[in-house]
Amino acid sequence: MFERRLYFHVDWLLLGAIVLLSAVGVAMIYSTTYVTTANGGHPGSQPVTQLYALGIGLVALLVCLVIDYRVLAEHSLFVYGALLVLLVFVLLKGQTQMGGQRWIPIGPFHLQPSEFARIAVALILAMYFGENRRGAKNPGDLVIGGVLTIIPLLLIAKQPDLGTAVTLLPVFVGVAFLAGLRLRLLGVLALAGILVAPVAWKFALKDYQKQRIQTFLDPEKDAQGAGYQTIQARVTVGSGGLTGKGFLHGTQGQYKFLPVAHNDFIFSVLAEEQGFVGVLGALGLYLFVILRSLEAARLAKDRLGAYLVGGIISGFAFQAIYNVAMSAGLAPVKGITLPLMSYGGSSLIAALASFGLILNVRMRRFTN
Amino acid sequence: MTTNLMPDDRRSLTLRLSVLQYTVAGAFALLAIGFWIFQIAQHEKFREMAENNQQRRLPLPAPRGVLLDRVGKVLVDNQDTRNIAIVREQTKNVDVVLRTLAEATGVPEAQLHDTLNRRRREPSYRPIVLIENATTEQYIAVRARSLELPGIIAEPVPARRYPSSDMAAHLFGYVGEVTTAQMQRPDYSGVEPGSIVGQAGVELAYNKMLMGIDGSKTVVVNSVGREIKQLDQQPPDIGHSLQLTLDSDLQKATEDAYTAAGFNGAAVVVDPNNGEVLAFTSRPAYDPNEFAAGIKPAAWNALTSDNLKPLQNRALQSRYPPGSTFKPAVGLAGLEEGVITPNFTVHCSGSANFYGRNFACWKKGGHGTVNLKTAIEQSCDVFFYTVGNMLGIDKINKWATLLGLGVKSNIDLPNELVGLVPSTQWKQETRHEKWYAGETISVAIGQGQVNVTPVSMAVYAATLANGGTRITPHIIKAADDGTGLKPLPEPPPQSKIDVSPEKLEAIRQGMWGVVNGGGTGGRARVEGHDVCGKTGTAQVVSNANRRLLQAKYKDVDYRDNGWFIFFAPRDHPTIAGAVFLEHGLHGPNAASVAHHILATYFARQDGKPLPPPPTHEDLRLDYKDPYARAGGGATEGGGH
Repeated sequence: MFERRLYFHVDWLLLGAIVLLSAVGVAMIYSTTYVTTANGGHPGSQPVTQLYALGIGLVALLVCLVIDYRVLAEHSLFVYGALLVLLVFVLLKGQTQMGGQRWIPIGPFHLQPSEFARIAVALILAMYFGENRRGAKNPGDLVIGGVLTIIPLLLIAKQPDLGTAVTLLPVFVGVAFLAGLRLRLLGVLALAGILVAPVAWKFALKDYQKQRIQTFLDPEKDAQGAGYQTIQARVTVGSGGLTGKGFLHGTQGQYKFLPVAHNDFIFSVLAEEQGFVGVLGALGLYLFVILRSLEAARLAKDRLGAYLVGGIISGFAFQAIYNVAMSAGLAPVKGITLPLMSYGGSSLIAALASFGLILNVRMRRFTN
Repeated sequence: MTTNLMPDDRRSLTLRLSVLQYTVAGAFALLAIGFWIFQIAQHEKFREMAENNQQRRLPLPAPRGVLLDRVGKVLVDNQDTRNIAIVREQTKNVDVVLRTLAEATGVPEAQLHDTLNRRRREPSYRPIVLIENATTEQYIAVRARSLELPGIIAEPVPARRYPSSDMAAHLFGYVGEVTTAQMQRPDYSGVEPGSIVGQAGVELAYNKMLMGIDGSKTVVVNSVGREIKQLDQQPPDIGHSLQLTLDSDLQKATEDAYTAAGFNGAAVVVDPNNGEVLAFTSRPAYDPNEFAAGIKPAAWNALTSDNLKPLQNRALQSRYPPGSTFKPAVGLAGLEEGVITPNFTVHCSGSANFYGRNFACWKKGGHGTVNLKTAIEQSCDVFFYTVGNMLGIDKINKWATLLGLGVKSNIDLPNELVGLVPSTQWKQETRHEKWYAGETISVAIGQGQVNVTPVSMAVYAATLANGGTRITPHIIKAADDGTGLKPLPEPPPQSKIDVSPEKLEAIRQGMWGVVNGGGTGGRARVEGHDVCGKTGTAQVVSNANRRLLQAKYKDVDYRDNGWFIFFAPRDHPTIAGAVFLEHGLHGPNAASVAHHILATYFARQDGKPLPPPPTHEDLRLDYKDPYARAGGGATEGGGH
């Protein structure tokens, strides 16, 4: 299955960038969760957990790399089915934490199946649009692809975890776009979205979700309440300045003015401690990873590979851009993690596994 | 089964990938711009906000200096009370916070708003005290709800603690927030608004030494306000401790005696050799503890609207005719001016005529022929009418002044008023009138135009005791600036005359006889000790006026005032003083009060147990009103 010559086609640069971002993530988690006391301090437990996840994630990456993506795609329906089963299971039996029922305990670990949904959806969509020879030009195929996306999306949204759920949309749009989705149709979809938005506002969004959007638009209105996070995110980022306050010297995250910063607001802490310079460095790495992945899509031997990479990286890019914007208070607060850097085992493992697939596609561009 | 890309597909894919590339690159560029705006362009604003988030400057109030008595016993110290304050800049919504605070503490919300409004012009970083002297329940409630109360701080602050009830209240004075008028004075420079400063008594007079300098500490706190670490600290500079000249035993004896007597008034007891104040009281008093943590408006209104004026320091700020206690001054003037000798006699038939007017002696039947000693002992009015008439007002004024009357004592307490011993010059200057010799007669027995403060009477007694040195009464003995108690220089005497011993002896013998020779002050006698003294019963208004006034103002007290001045022992006095009973009816009643002070003083000197506080009956007070006895006669007359 794994030929020796493939080794030379592994994109070491992309892999290096991914591992580097993960390592930066661990370092930032270390700094954010460091417990300062009157007489010194001690590290929190989170960086160690994250290191374990990084190890497991690298194994997952290797697994996703060595198995030919075409073989995986053949089993995409099985993977997709397994995902749906897990998501239903979570809804029925999952553990509740932080206002959402998202976790399945496996021994000492807590698996969050929704983090793996993007991979499964990307696989099945790439398979569907790659194999049907018509691409996404046919509205009927588009509807089928849409349904394949909507089912897990609704299951995740029901947890409720709207943030993770909506990250499936860019996967679908990415695959469909590369598969030749007519731009006019995209426009129609966008228009429909705008028309549906007020209806959704009225009926679909929960009160806390509405509140988050409202406070984003005017955070000062409720500075101690829901607008607090948005304001504090800006303070965190802005107080970093050009070169930052230095590793372990951030105050906003460490003293918990920005709640659970090691999770959704890890980039804010990076901006605080490493400054604008660090922000440019991290943004540069993310941009490199995305562009390099798009390059892999361009180089892909077949449509399946190109769509698979396109779907995965669209989801990744959306997540990264949204999270970074949110971490500077430039987007409403949503539970969207920063892939590779945010604290969270499932998120990191899923991200690394998905890059295994991207490396896989690029590596096998010459194989038959 | 694999679907390799056809050239068409490839072209379309490449194009669409490029679209994605540019979209992503564009998004990242926008993000970079966003971060540039926050991190570079608006950095300063956010840096400050982050600092405000996590740094708190907490004042460390300097405890005021402790007050000790003459042997080092603590009289006034500090205890921690808890104030609940608000730092507005840490509070986004003051209304909500005040509402929550009102709920938590039970203090009316409107009251909190009022308190805050009064100081709304102060900088928002400065804590404003909303609840002074909070109860433990309020303190715990606030701490428990600290998350809902951003900007509310509950910190222990040192507050003044005075001895039980109202002991020496006017001497200690009280503290309060610095007033705007004070803030504008140069000696209050550096005092922050809201600071606690002395507002009366020793607290005011020695405020600068007692006050100390507040410190502060800057701490880092986390989002729930827990202190994480301290950045820097400026420790408070504790105020200087002051050792008073006050003698706690005598002070207590004085207060006990007044309490038993039930009269208002004032007493000052000094060491006649150096002017150290041993006991000092003014009645009615107040409880300075009520001011320690901010006086409640109701309590303040009660104090200021009381007709008896409990805030007034009667020892320094009230002036009364000295009555017969003035007689030794007239006698000494007569001797010193060569107008009389100790053997000079006058025949008292119960009254005498001067300038066509009849002046009565307090003893209707008269004293018969009296010399100086007997005249003082029996307080014969006619004798002193005669001597006063021989002296004239200006010589009386000269000797009264040298003895300490009609001038300020210059005691080291604020707002002393000056008494009055009239003179021809005084009348010319203030009334633009000539002094009539007939006016001198009343002055000779301490009535008429003479008005003196109790503290100046204590100086007068001390000058008679030490033979002519007008000591400066003072209350502070030593100060401790943190390096141990160091004596403060004794204030120099106001004046010094050498009274010839035999002339002084004549006066002293009379005053000894007052107490020990069957005179009017027999109640002040202490077995085995030679107490000298002089009683005085002084009219508040003349008998004629009293009849008219009493009919008009039924509630006003026109009863006579009682005085007793004393020193002891006769030959080498170590204690002197004046006891004044407002509307105390008789000088001998004042002698009863003085007796307990003197008995306590000598009991301790003799190593005997101190006498217990007297009961009202022990004092054997005389409540018979001499006015009623005299039937409101039209003649002028003096007391005894």
